[in-house]
Amino acid sequence: MELLELLNFYVIPGIVLGSIYALGAVGITLIFAILRYAHLAHGDLATLGAFIALAVVTALGVSPLVALPVAIIATAAVAVGIDKVFYEHLRERPKIVTVMASLGIALMVRSVVQVVWGVDTQTYTRGIVRPEDYFGLRIRDRELYTVAAMLLLVGGLQLFLTRSKWGKAMRAMSDNPNLALLSGIDNKKVVMLTWIIAGGLCAASGFFLGLNTELKSMMGWHMLLPMFAAAILGGVGRVEGAVLGGLIVGIAEELSVLVIPSEYKAAMAFAILLFMLLVRPTGLLKGKVL
Amino acid sequence: MSPLLSMENLTGGYGDADILLNVDLHVDQDEIVVIVGPNGAGKSTAMKSVFGLLTIRGGKMLFDGDDITGWAPNRIVQRGICYVPQVDNIFREMSIHENLEMGGFLKKGDLTAAYDRVYELFPDLKERRKTMAGSLSGGQRQMVAMGRALMLDPKLLLLDEPTAGLSPKYMEQIFQICRDVRDTGVAILLVEQHAKQALAFADRGYVLAAGKNRHEGTGAELLADREVAEMFLGG
Repeated sequence: MELLELLNFYVIPGIVLGSIYALGAVGITLIFAILRYAHLAHGDLATLGAFIALAVVTALGVSPLVALPVAIIATAAVAVGIDKVFYEHLRERPKIVTVMASLGIALMVRSVVQVVWGVDTQTYTRGIVRPEDYFGLRIRDRELYTVAAMLLLVGGLQLFLTRSKWGKAMRAMSDNPNLALLSGIDNKKVVMLTWIIAGGLCAASGFFLGLNTELKSMMGWHMLLPMFAAAILGGVGRVEGAVLGGLIVGIAEELSVLVIPSEYKAAMAFAILLFMLLVRPTGLLKGKVL
Repeated sequence: MSPLLSMENLTGGYGDADILLNVDLHVDQDEIVVIVGPNGAGKSTAMKSVFGLLTIRGGKMLFDGDDITGWAPNRIVQRGICYVPQVDNIFREMSIHENLEMGGFLKKGDLTAAYDRVYELFPDLKERRKTMAGSLSGGQRQMVAMGRALMLDPKLLLLDEPTAGLSPKYMEQIFQICRDVRDTGVAILLVEQHAKQALAFADRGYVLAAGKNRHEGTGAELLADREVAEMFLGG
C-alpha cells in the first residue's frame, strides 16, 4: 500500500477522530483529577451538545460553526445544573455512588435527546463534501476545522490553567485538595469551573463527531469507552496527555481496520485501555493512580 | 499585654473522643513556642484545634482580641493564622512560585511585596522559583510550605513537626528560619518530635502528655527539669 493511501484513508481520519475523542477525554481527565470520580454521563452530554447545535442550525438557518459556541455555552450550563441538582448532594458519599449516579444521568440525558429530537439519524448539512487536495493529501474542510478547534480549545485551556489565578486554583485542588482548602481556595467555585470547562468541551466533541459523521442519540455513548481509554492512556489529570491519548486511540482505531474486521474497530479502545491499566496505570505522562 | 493567642481550658477531639483535656496554652507576640511530648500526647491535635480542625467541647480560644472558638479554617486564615501541616504541605506539581501564589490566594491586589518578603527569608527558593516543588529535597519542601503559609502576612504561624525526617543540618536551618520569621514580627507555635533541640531553640515550651498540660516554662527551664528530662526526653 502506498504511503499516501495510508495517510488519506487511515491516518487523517484517525487524527480527526482522535481530536474528537481528545475534546471529551480532556473533560474526563479534569473531572477525574478534581472531583475524583469517573463521569459516565460524559458521552451523552456530548450527544446533547451536538443536538443543541442542530437545533440552532435548523431554527436559525446558520452554518454549523456558528451554532458551535451556542452549543458549548448551553451544554456547559447543563453540566453545571446537573452537578448542582444531583452530584453536589453526593459529594460526601463514597465516590462510587456518584459514578453510578452519573450512569443514571447518562440515561436521562439520552432519553431527553430521544424525546426532543427522535431516534433517527440526522445531519447538519446535506450533500457530499469533496475533499480538497493538498499535495496528494485529501482533506475536507470540516476535518481541518475539527483539528484546529481542538488545538485552539485545548491550547486555550492550557493557558488558563497555567496563567490565570483560577486556573492555578484548579490545578492546586487537583494536586492537594486539603492544602488548597487551607489556602482558602473556594472549592465550590473550582468545581463549577470544572463543569463549565468539561461541559463546553463535551459539546465541542459531540458537535465535531456530528459534523464529520451523523447525529444519532447513541453517538456519545459509543464514544465513552474511547474517551476513557484516551484519558487513562495519557495519564489521569494530564490535559496534554488526554490529547495525546485521544489521538493515539483515534489513529489506532482507524488503523485496526487493516488487520481486523471493521465491525471490531471499537474493540481497539478497549484493548488499549486494558493494556495500559495492566502495564502502566499512571498513563504515558504519569498521571494519578486511581 | 494580653497574649496573641490563648487557649483556655480547652477540651475537644475528633468525632466523639476527646483528645485534649483542659489544655491551657498561650503564645505572645514575637515568640516561638514549642509543644513537645510523647507520641499520642495530643501535640498535633492541640495545634489543629487552633485552626478549627476539630470539635471543641469545652473552653475557648482567643486570638488577637477575638474569640475564635469554632471558626471555620478559611475565616481563621483571613484573621491571621496560617497552618503548615506535617505531610502533604506543598503542591507537588506546581512550581515554587505557584505554590506561593496559592498561599496568597485570599489576598486582594498585588502580591509583589509578599513574594519579596518570602524570597528574602528563603533566598534558595528565589533562585529556583520555576522548579516543580515535588522535585525538591525535604528541607526545601519545608521552606516552600512555610513560604506558602507566610504569603498572607499572618500574625501567627502554626508548624506541625517542621523538622520531621530532616537531617540535622536542615533541622538547624529550619530553626534558624523560624527565628528569622519571628524577627519579622510573626509569632510561631510549633509541635516538635525532636524535643531537646526544639526546647533549646524555642522561647518557651509546653510539655503535653495524655492530652493534658504537664509542664510549661522557658526552653532552658524545661530542659533543666529532671522530671521532664526523664519522662519525655529520654534521660
